[in-house]
Parts: sequence; C-alpha cells; structure tokens
Amino acid sequence: MSFRYTMIGAALGIFIFYLGLILSLFYFVGGKGFWGALFHPNTLFSIRISLIAATIATFFAVIIGLPSAYALSRFKFFGKGILDTFLEIPMIISPIALGAAFLVFFNTPLGELIQNKGIFFVFEVPGIILAQFATIAGLATRLMKASLDEISPRYEAVARSLGSSPWQAFYRVTLPLSFRGLLASVILAWAKAFGEFGATVTLAGAMPGKTETMPIAIFTALASANIDKAIVLILILVAFGLLTLYGVRLTGQRYRYD
Amino acid sequence: MIKIEGLTILFDTFKIVKLDIQIEEGEFHFLLGPTGSGKTLVLESIMGLRKPKGGRIWIGDREVQSLPPERRGISYVPQDLALFPHLKVKENILYGIKARNLDMKAYEEYVYTLVEVMRVEHLLERYPANLSGGEKKRAALLRALAPKPKLLLLDEPLAGLDLSIKVDIQQLLKNLHSSFHTTTLCVTHDFGEAHSLADRMTIFIDGKVGQVGKRNDVFLRPRSKKVAQFLGAKNLYRAKVLKNEESSQRMILGVNGLQFSIPTDLYQGQLEVGKEVDLFIRPEEVMILREGKPVKDSLKKNIFEGKILDITDKERYHMVSLQTTEGEISFEISIPNYTFRNLNLSTGKLVKIALREESLWVIC
Repeated sequence: MSFRYTMIGAALGIFIFYLGLILSLFYFVGGKGFWGALFHPNTLFSIRISLIAATIATFFAVIIGLPSAYALSRFKFFGKGILDTFLEIPMIISPIALGAAFLVFFNTPLGELIQNKGIFFVFEVPGIILAQFATIAGLATRLMKASLDEISPRYEAVARSLGSSPWQAFYRVTLPLSFRGLLASVILAWAKAFGEFGATVTLAGAMPGKTETMPIAIFTALASANIDKAIVLILILVAFGLLTLYGVRLTGQRYRYD
Repeated sequence: MIKIEGLTILFDTFKIVKLDIQIEEGEFHFLLGPTGSGKTLVLESIMGLRKPKGGRIWIGDREVQSLPPERRGISYVPQDLALFPHLKVKENILYGIKARNLDMKAYEEYVYTLVEVMRVEHLLERYPANLSGGEKKRAALLRALAPKPKLLLLDEPLAGLDLSIKVDIQQLLKNLHSSFHTTTLCVTHDFGEAHSLADRMTIFIDGKVGQVGKRNDVFLRPRSKKVAQFLGAKNLYRAKVLKNEESSQRMILGVNGLQFSIPTDLYQGQLEVGKEVDLFIRPEEVMILREGKPVKDSLKKNIFEGKILDITDKERYHMVSLQTTEGEISFEISIPNYTFRNLNLSTGKLVKIALREESLWVIC
C-alpha cells in the first residue's frame, strides 16, 4: 500500500473508532425508561450543576491563569522553569490522587481553619468547583501562554513607546491580538472541567441532587445498572463535547482584517 | 540635544560598556555597527524597554533613564515594523496621539501633512495585512512621527526591501527629515544607508565606540584599522614611515618598495621615521590618468604605473582591479560610468594611476 494511503487510512481508522463508539450508544436509545430518565429532576440537576460549576471553575482559572500565562510568556524571573513544570502536575497525576490530596489538606489545621471560618468544600458544591479548578488551572495557563507566545512582544514595545502604560498596551494590543487563541483555551478548559470526574467525586462526593455532576451521575447510573439514564447522560455529554469542539474550530478560523 | 552617557548593558553574551552618544537637536544620527553587535539592545535601552546596568540618558534637559517608555517621548520603528494588525492604518497612525491623550485638533493639520508627504491617503481604511512592504514602512514611519516625538528611533529601516522600494523609502526619509527635522537615531549595519542619510554617525564595534563624526570624516578618515575594515575599506596597506622632508612638510611612506608622499599637517608629531602605520585610500579617490592630459598638482606626487587585472560592472560604476608594476600592490579603483567610457580600459592594459593626496589617510 502506498505511503499516502497508509497514513490517511490510520487517520480514518481513529475517526471510525470514535464514531462507532458514539453510534453504538443509539442502540439503547428509546428504551422503556429513556424519556423518563431524560426529564428526571436529578438528571436536570446534574446538567445544571455541571454547567454552573464548570463555568465558575473556568472563570477562576482565567482570572489567575491569564496573568500567570502572561508572566510566563513575557518575563524572566527566578523559578520560572519550576513554575512552568508544575503546571503539568494535574495532567500527570491521577485525578483521584488530586482529589484525595484535597481531602488530606482539609484535615490539616490550615484546611480545617478554612472550612470552619470560610467555605465548606468537602462533600459540598464549592468542592466541585475547587476540584475542577485544580484540574484545569494548569492546563488553562499553559494554553493561554501558548496563545500569548504567538503575539510578538514588539507590538507592546511599540505601544509603550507611543504612550501606553503596560496595562493599556496589554488591553489595547496584546489582548485583542490573542483573543481568539485565548477564547479557544477557555473553551477547552471549560470542556475539561465539565467532564471532570475523579477529583470531583473524591472531594465532593456523589450525592444525587447535591454534588452529582454529569460524569458522576453516569458512574452512579452504571453502578446501579440504570442503562437508560447512563445513555441519556452520555449522549448529553457527547453533545456538549461536540459543541465545544465546534466552538474551538470557529475560533481557529483566523481573523482576516479586511 | 540627546545625550547618552556611559550606557552599560550586560545581556547574554553581549557586553556594551560605557557607550556615549550625542545627538544634536534635529540631527539624523546613525549608530553603525556589524550585525550582532548589540545595536538593538542599545535602542531598547534608550527607549526604556530594557534596564541597562548603568548610564544616563538626557532628552533635552530632562533625564529619562528612570522613566518608563511611555513617558520618554521617544518613538520607535522596529525592523519588523509591528504595525498593529487588528487596527486600520488610520487607527495605527492615531494610536500615539490617543494613548498620550493629546488634543487631536492640535495635531490634525500636522498629521494630514504627514499623510500627504507619505502618500498614504488611499490606505487609511485598510488593515496592515493588505499593504505592500513599502506601504507598511510608510505607515509605520507615520505612526511613529504622528505624536511629534522628541527622538525617533529607527531599527534597520531599509533592511529587507526590494531595491526600488529601498530607494523610495530612502528618499522619503531624507524628505521627512528635511521637512520636519525630527531628531533621529538610526541603527544599521549597512554603511551605504548611513552614507546617504547621516548627518553624523557613531561607529560601534565590539561593544565600544570606534569613531564619531560627520559622514565624510568617518568614511575618508577612519580612526582605526577596525573602523576602516568595518566600513568595507579597500586599499588598506601596512606602511612604514621612511623619511621626513621637513622643508616641504611631507613624509615618505613605503609599502612594498613603493613610495607614497603625504603632507604632514594632519598628523602633527605622530609620524616619526621608522613607525609602522596603516595607509588608506577609498577606491573613488584613485584616478586613472588619461594620456596626454595635464595632471593637477594634488595628484602629481603619487603617480604609479600598473596593469589592469580585472574590470567589474557594478551598475552605476565600474570597479577596476589593478596591480602596480613596482611593488606589486593591488588597488581597487571605482570609476563612474561616464568616465569609464572615455578611458578605453581593458584587462591587461598598462595605465598610470594618481592618488589624491588629500584623500590619502594614515591610520597612526
């Protein structure tokens, strides 16, 4: 077989593999409990809590991640290499370990102080947000840094010489120039938070109607052999996932300033 | 006046120690140095983007080295121009006036004049992506000039342009400078650019100032062999002072048995007999004599015979390589095309050459 066809064949193989997986879900669609499961209050709650938690977690990841990404992209400072490496921690350690680390932390004196004086995280909704934030903050920073790296610092240099403060130069020049890349980073981070399971279930638990996000609901549905509910939730997750990817693709279309 | 005093930059492998540059009000000053000599670092330090290890910078009577870039009143045109791609040409041009909160009305007429001089009226509503190389250059220059900077910094403004556009932009820079007299510091490695535009220049080699001076002082009278070599000097010879003719105030220098006669008035006391020096003359300052034509006094003292080895057509002039019969010294001689046509030269021909004594330069 020619080189070209081998390579394209491999690509098609992956595509068919995933597509087949998704299509196989439809084998169970329309079962007895299907529609009931779709409109069950717990299902609707899972969707709602997942959307809200992922959005808040992403918000915080951007608030902290964007300045961090900028610092890593533009400045030289002591410990930059270590900091950059640490961003990968949530990507390489198992999410369950991450969640467990939080449980341990909230049993230290500092952790207890935070829970007693401030917000309760363990087995509570803020725990979902915290677990998701921990999972995506590093990733979001990394992705946003990559977008900022693409914008030459020369633009800011010129903006500064023309009278802009560093804040104005960032706001008027770097931000609009990197906006699409940043937006794609945010969407991807949000999608990752939306599908987060391990850290969330460990820290926030799996209480229906309280901390049961969609991935957790899928797990509990399967555990209790409620196939209809599991299928409904998986299909919704897949739909959100595809929408997200489509969104990222849209941002990928380059600006044509004309 | 712009005064840079003792600028010291240590960065990666660059080491620039105690650099001094002085630029008169309204002057077009060149900082001329080889590629990789740290010229851009110097610009970035003057602008305030980089914190130098030491040194002081005055713009007029204002000392600016502790001010951030936005408060120095210096405009900058980088080599890659960095026109803001998300803004139309018009918005690019007005960026500085807006960022500095200047009164747009007061600048309107001036900016409009600039727009006319730069021939960019038809480009104002376009985005930079849709401009040609020359148009981008013009837009970037305009953006830098619009807020009336106290100092304009240009980083290799003619690098990477097609020849026709280069000539166009060069002329434009000349016109702009003669119309608006913006004090300008331009960095380049190309001495041709500097030669056509500079009022004065600072030659910058190995992190140090090699020479400062008016254009012709530097080109005709390099102070060191290094400067001469950097300026692409041809006809540079190691010579020995042979004789001091006090009665005629002349010195005789020997190169490979060939004797050069040089007036001593420029080198008071520096040329004692026996000293080794470098002798230099630019290719345009060597004449090929036409047979039977009278020779000017200033040419009479240094006439040699030689054989033409090679002739190269350089478009606007011809470069003739010649070897003297006595001493076998090579000369490169640049001859304008109209003179070349009258001379009937060919490879292998024996001719006489004369060196203008005002242009013979001894590097002591």
